[in-house]
Amino acid sequence: MKREMIRIENLKKSFGDLEVLKEVNLNVNESDVVVLIGASGSGKSTLLRCINFLEIKNGGKIVIEGEEVDPKSHNLNEVRQKVGMVFQHFNLFAHKTVLENVMEAPVMVKNEDKKEAEKDARILLDKVGLSDKADVYPAKLSGGQKQRVAIARALAMKPDIMLFDEPTSALDPELVGEVLATMKELAQEGMTMVVVTHEMGFAKEVADEVVYMHDGQIWERGTPSELFNNPKEDRTKDFLSSIL
Amino acid sequence: MFDIAHILDVLIESYPLFMKGLWITLKLTVVSILIGTGIGLVFALFKISGIKILNWIANIYIALIRGTPLIVQIFIFYFGLAELGISAFWSAAFGLAMHNGAYIAEIFRGSIQSVDKGQMEAGRSLGMPYGLTMRRIILPQAFKRALPPLGNQFIIGLKDSSLASFIALSELFSIATTQGSRTFDEMTYLIIVGLYYLILVLLFTLLVNMLEKKLSAGE
Repeated sequence: MKREMIRIENLKKSFGDLEVLKEVNLNVNESDVVVLIGASGSGKSTLLRCINFLEIKNGGKIVIEGEEVDPKSHNLNEVRQKVGMVFQHFNLFAHKTVLENVMEAPVMVKNEDKKEAEKDARILLDKVGLSDKADVYPAKLSGGQKQRVAIARALAMKPDIMLFDEPTSALDPELVGEVLATMKELAQEGMTMVVVTHEMGFAKEVADEVVYMHDGQIWERGTPSELFNNPKEDRTKDFLSSIL
Repeated sequence: MFDIAHILDVLIESYPLFMKGLWITLKLTVVSILIGTGIGLVFALFKISGIKILNWIANIYIALIRGTPLIVQIFIFYFGLAELGISAFWSAAFGLAMHNGAYIAEIFRGSIQSVDKGQMEAGRSLGMPYGLTMRRIILPQAFKRALPPLGNQFIIGLKDSSLASFIALSELFSIATTQGSRTFDEMTYLIIVGLYYLILVLLFTLLVNMLEKKLSAGE
């Protein structure tokens, strides 16, 4: 039995009168890759952002690695160190070089020795295939390169879980592949991943579980072959036929 | 009236006196701008903090400063602080600093809010606390964007320092008026002091431009 990394119970989130998440339940085990799919506005990004507390839930429970996290009493900065996040729009620190982007949090948050952090950062940049871009500023990179740096930056904190919020949605089509390849490699190394994406090819190939969200709820979930080949719910069928 | 030879004569003759005034003007400007920048940053952070009471404090401060003439503020500081034994120079410096601070607060607030909010989220998602993210990620980018309007405010601050002449501080403008009335040659001295300010502002502008170029490296 694999270790449970994330457990979400009856999670609720509203923005004003708008109920974005209605009693969502989800669990993610160690080394699993869970892909969240669904139309925009279905709550999948909000769910992801609740997991590392960029959005604060209105109700329910979030358990990270066996420990229930209460945003009021917990040090969220410590929780976030265990949960890396990659954003749709990369959000690289514009005034810092690629290398500085990757080193920033280990040095400033974990007080790592600068030399040590630089060594680790260079290894990570090598891993995402960008060791030659270490001293370049983000503005000089392509979208795909930016996203790979963002992945390296998140990995630099040695997280146990990685969240991806539509990591390829802002990319030109020809740049999507390189980012997905990096993510696939990460999955093969055993990283626990929750991925919001519209890349169904990636979901089919890499996911252990695919979760279809609709109207702030988990409508249907299953293995990729179950969900893509034999969806049970009409909504799921409609959604899949609209995008495939 | 515009006898250039005469103006040049007076310019050369009054040079040592004006240098003294120039020195006081420069000290007053630099001190009040430095303190004003500090005040501005604090109130800008108050305004974006999302904490109601801090918002209130910042809003009241800015409303009071913007809603009253600088000369009134300088006199209030002068008479208020003189009671505490504080010199005319420091009264003027604090008065000007508080005044500049309100405008600089608005400049910083705007530039901080112009930084994409994804930058803050990225910092937070890496486990960086709010203050650290603000200091390491947001403010450096905000400061770069604030530089042009900040330079503008600095120039205004330099020229506003002439109002300190009303509280008997012998800075540039006060020297021009005293010399002018002593010699009944007001116009000549006003033109000369105008030249001094003009040159100071040009030098200041140059300095800000250089700083801007230096900071924009890498983008």
